[in-house]
Amino acid sequence: MKILFSLLIFVSFVFAGDATIEVIKKADTIPSIAVEDSSDSYDETFKRKFFRSLVADLNVLSIFNVDRHHTRADYNEDKVVFSNKEMDYVLRYRLIDEDSDGLSLEMKLLHKNENIYSKSYHVSKKEIYMFVSHAIAYDINEFMGQPSVAWMKRKVVFSRIVAPMKSEIVISDYTLTYQHVVLKGGFNIFPKWASRSQKAFYYTDLSNNKPTLKRINITNGQIKSIVASDGMIVCSDVNDDGTKLLLTMARNGQPDIYSFNTTTNKYKRLTTYSGIDVNGQFFGNNKIVFISSRLGYPNVFSKNLKTNEVEQLVYYGRSNSACSAHGNYVVYKARETSNAFSQNTFNLHLISTNTDFIRRLTATGVNEFPRFSKDGDAIIFIKNYKGQSAIGIIRLNYNKNYLFPLKYGRLQSMDW
Amino acid sequence: MKSIVLSSVVTALLVFSGCSSKEPAVDTNAQKAPVEEVQAVETETVSTQNSMVDSTTNDTATTISELESKLPTVYFAFDKYNITPEMQAKIDEAAELGKSEKAKSINVKLEGNCDEWGSDEYNFALGLKRAQAVKNALVADGIDASRISMVSYGESNPVCTEHTKECWAKNRRVNFKLLP
Repeated sequence: MKILFSLLIFVSFVFAGDATIEVIKKADTIPSIAVEDSSDSYDETFKRKFFRSLVADLNVLSIFNVDRHHTRADYNEDKVVFSNKEMDYVLRYRLIDEDSDGLSLEMKLLHKNENIYSKSYHVSKKEIYMFVSHAIAYDINEFMGQPSVAWMKRKVVFSRIVAPMKSEIVISDYTLTYQHVVLKGGFNIFPKWASRSQKAFYYTDLSNNKPTLKRINITNGQIKSIVASDGMIVCSDVNDDGTKLLLTMARNGQPDIYSFNTTTNKYKRLTTYSGIDVNGQFFGNNKIVFISSRLGYPNVFSKNLKTNEVEQLVYYGRSNSACSAHGNYVVYKARETSNAFSQNTFNLHLISTNTDFIRRLTATGVNEFPRFSKDGDAIIFIKNYKGQSAIGIIRLNYNKNYLFPLKYGRLQSMDW
Repeated sequence: MKSIVLSSVVTALLVFSGCSSKEPAVDTNAQKAPVEEVQAVETETVSTQNSMVDSTTNDTATTISELESKLPTVYFAFDKYNITPEMQAKIDEAAELGKSEKAKSINVKLEGNCDEWGSDEYNFALGLKRAQAVKNALVADGIDASRISMVSYGESNPVCTEHTKECWAKNRRVNFKLLP
């Protein structure tokens, strides 16, 4: 009996979850970093805000074990502060108050008490201090030779519903710390950046009789109507140079995907199925990925625009209703429960067209509206849980998710 | 005896005077909940051509709100856009109204809506397919298709915001909006 028992225990240990062991190992092998604040200018509140932003950014890089203690140090001191003696790296920075509204900063990265990297920064307005913190994290990430996190420096544009049929369009940084309402009042939804430079974006205006696609230049506030369509119109994707759009339009109440040439202002219908075809995404050369209900439920398909061949991409789940594509990868939203009477769970999944590889990216709650970053390193998505909206960011290379809650309103859609 | 009564009265008075009156608590939740708009107000913005409000304009506005109050709301099942037999009966009534003397010059906009599950394009398209289903039923009942336009609001135009199955059922709907 005793032998049998000990044998069973031995067997169960052999089959113990490998995944958990691996995760612990990983946490041990990543280097530690501490942050030292050498600022003399500015009040305590501002200094703490900046410190917290920097620590949070370094944490999102996912390449360091970040120590969150606020320590002060003399910028020119050779050695690190005693409590940071065991740290692999120390980031020391100094905020410099300018006479005008601007903000300057100098920083250095210390390793074994040696200055291995330093840089200075300046912004014209102290209010956008978080973009300095994002730039520092980006530069350190580049210096460490890790996959690019260029998305960290980019602006996010999102729409939030503030009342039935009333919304605001806001531009923010990826953490939602900086927020600037660009369009207020009216009913404007589905914002989409018009180009990499992020100087303009498209959006759908529903406040008049006919849904209209408009484009706004955020440097001068000029608004231009692009095309209108009875029923619905959404800009789903913009190609790399901004010359082509994929639109969902519903002429005669029939939602289909159209390509639109911004130079000639001409559109062309790409799907002809009589049900629902939406959410087109550019995918490689001459292909699109989209959501269609042609099998009786929403699922993910690709279409070759030269041969018109349509291919089913996901063979799992009964309702996959949103997608985003990058390289060979497609991320989609899957409904995992089908309950008309209680909370449903929606999770994001990742597939590759090169392999049979499929990976679930989120675990619980309502996770929707996935969008790949331009560099494919991260996915941004909306998480709605217990009446609160949050922006989620998934670092694909590190299998880590981060959440940034919205203080009011409900996130409708966004782009970065 | 007297002193006992007196002291108990005094104690009672002290106890009751100590009870503070409750101030109404400010319901912070109310500030977070979206303000419900009264739908009928939108139909009042009539006659953009005529800046003078004359008696005929007033009549049209009254007729429109009168007729709108008689129009049904069509409800749908979870993730579906087909018309059920009970809803079909409501649409038949609406079609009859649309063919009547009072209403036959008035156009209608069908607004498709969904419950809160999903703000993506698919949900907007679902709302539109619901509006389309109602339009097809109206046309089959003899209403001219050119009188009918459609729009989808997805889940952005809820009539209620509780996370209950009753509320979700109320939001999966198509509304009739009359246009002058």
